[in-house]
Amino acid sequence: MNTHETHSTLTQAEMPLMRHCPLVTCGQEVKRGERIATSSTPGMGDIHTPVAGKVAHVDTFRIRIDANGDEQVDPVSLDDLSGSNLLITLLELGADLPQVNTTETLIINGVDAEQGVLTRQELFISSRATLERGLKTAVALYNPQTTVLAALKGTAQTLDGANTVDISEQYPSGLDPMVALAVTGREAPENTVVIGLETLFQLGRIMETGLPIMETMITVGKEGKIVSLGTPVGQILDEAGEVIADRDRIVLGGVLRGAAAASPSHGVGRDTSAVALVNNPAPVAQDAPCVGCGECVRKCPARLDPSMITSYAEFGMYDKAAAEDVDVCFECGLCGFFCIARRPMLQYIRLAKNELALAQAQSGEEV
Amino acid sequence: MKPFNPFSLTVSVPPHRHCGVTVRSRMLIILLAMVPAAAMAVTQYGIAGFRVMALSMATAVLTEIVCDKFMGRESQISDLHAMFVGLAFAFLLPASAPWWLVTIGSASSIILGKMMFGGLGGSPFCAPLIGWALCRISWPAFMDIDATMLTMDLVYPLAQLKNFGLQAVTATDAQALFLGKQLGGLGVVQIAGVLMGGLVLVMRKHISSIIPVGVIAGVIITAGLFNMIDPEVYAPPVFHLLTGSTIFGAFFLATDGPSSPNRQIPMLLFGMLVGIMIIIIRVYGIYPDGVPFAILLANLFTPVFERIRPRSFGKR
Ligand code: SF4
Ligand code: SF4
Repeated sequence: MNTHETHSTLTQAEMPLMRHCPLVTCGQEVKRGERIATSSTPGMGDIHTPVAGKVAHVDTFRIRIDANGDEQVDPVSLDDLSGSNLLITLLELGADLPQVNTTETLIINGVDAEQGVLTRQELFISSRATLERGLKTAVALYNPQTTVLAALKGTAQTLDGANTVDISEQYPSGLDPMVALAVTGREAPENTVVIGLETLFQLGRIMETGLPIMETMITVGKEGKIVSLGTPVGQILDEAGEVIADRDRIVLGGVLRGAAAASPSHGVGRDTSAVALVNNPAPVAQDAPCVGCGECVRKCPARLDPSMITSYAEFGMYDKAAAEDVDVCFECGLCGFFCIARRPMLQYIRLAKNELALAQAQSGEEV
Repeated sequence: MKPFNPFSLTVSVPPHRHCGVTVRSRMLIILLAMVPAAAMAVTQYGIAGFRVMALSMATAVLTEIVCDKFMGRESQISDLHAMFVGLAFAFLLPASAPWWLVTIGSASSIILGKMMFGGLGGSPFCAPLIGWALCRISWPAFMDIDATMLTMDLVYPLAQLKNFGLQAVTATDAQALFLGKQLGGLGVVQIAGVLMGGLVLVMRKHISSIIPVGVIAGVIITAGLFNMIDPEVYAPPVFHLLTGSTIFGAFFLATDGPSSPNRQIPMLLFGMLVGIMIIIIRVYGIYPDGVPFAILLANLFTPVFERIRPRSFGKR
């Protein structure tokens, strides 16, 4: 088993929820590794506390736990599980595994798409054995005809049991849909599953320890670091020697797509690839009408018309946004980066997608 | 605002970094790209040329402020677009244009060509051309470049061509035309300056090269065809490129964002349509310089061209 010097002692852990249902209430005592929220999204894993202690706060978006003691749950034995039993157990242990019926091609995305993020690159260096263990498990789960590792051109990364395909470092080539295109030669190919390298790492950790996922690799500054999930981002930046000043922003993920943390106690989640301090004073995006310059249209790798989509979203005309194929957008964020009116492009797109999904869910329930 | 102790975080949606080009910076660079031609115009026409440009720009900015007041919206004049509209409109006028013509034209460019449609980005037309068209139709005598500029020893080659035929055109020396030794709109005929500014914009990627290339190709092909049919009657392509506002239109007016298509093939077709229409209007129309109307007409076709679009990623 790999050992990582990771768990700089946590006094408090904050677990971000992604539409999970909390299973604990305030004041409740929890053991390390206890399940505290269950997923309501197919293919998304449950959430477990990385520290033993007492639940201090629960709301729709987060559960906060004050650390105390070191009681831990017992490891689960996974050796004699297979097929759907294994899948269910892994989801319960916090792995994020897309659900599909048949898989022709399994693609492991080992490319850090956004500039400045080197999480996946670091995983190759630090945790190769865990990754290979994870890959074996993924192959057993998906039973693909071919397994491909998408790796950055020039890094010559390999994993046992997967063919390597080179991916250009030009953004957005490293995003899942672009990687799937590069590997299969088709856009949005059927029966193809793309999973990120960190998911492989997490699978590997579960198989090695029998414990739920409680740690992840993130990029801080110019290096990768394995940290406990739920670590407050403020603490991470402190330890990296960064000083947070008034009006700075803490960005989780890359600068084009990442979210800004609302407070330094915001915890690292499974999908956090990087934690960075960005200090430009003014918000980049502003509430401004489209000036029709066409930059976004020419830059969109999905060949959409982001100016129309976002203008429709702005005025609540979500059906029109759907007719403009908003569902095709893979949220690369380039339209917002280049918008000369500095419109919050990605936010409008996500709003439209969200509203459309809600409408669909509602009409589905009524039928 | 007083800083919070110890700090408050900025929370905003992605992106958290930006390419840096804003509406204001782009307009500023476009204005700077017009400076060489403006300087040449001042050299040629003296204070008269300067007066038209300054008045037009001031009117445009003031008009926009007043419109913003009436419409109850936050003023966007700091984005400098009104300055661009004012200067571009002035470029199209004869240096002798009376003050009221400049004022009315510049104000209507802003009101009818921009604010009526909800400000920058809403208008289906290139704004300065709206003012130009209004003035050209309402007060043709004052917009007529030849009639108003009899005091100059330069000639308006396009009017000579229109009224007396190719034989009568006296200014045919390409180099002289290139250096602005001709009459026409006070700024647009400073071909050397306009071209220099246009090329800077293309090189710095503030405008795409596709539309200018389309316009120039359209002019060369159409004028070339006519010229081939009868070189005695129809002027050669070079003449059409170097006279009137062809080059200015190609680089500064046809490339106006909201009124032109955004994708590559539609942009090329749009440019070609402008180029073809320029020559057709110059050959058959009643206006010596076809550029403004050619661009306005092509603006109308923008939605049609926009229908040519690739399939979205992964849609079959
Ligand atoms: S985020 Fe913008 S540029 Fe990227 S795919 Fe979506 S619409 Fe296109
Ligand atoms: S980049 Fe921004 S301003 Fe330009 S067309 Fe797109 S949305 Fe409009």
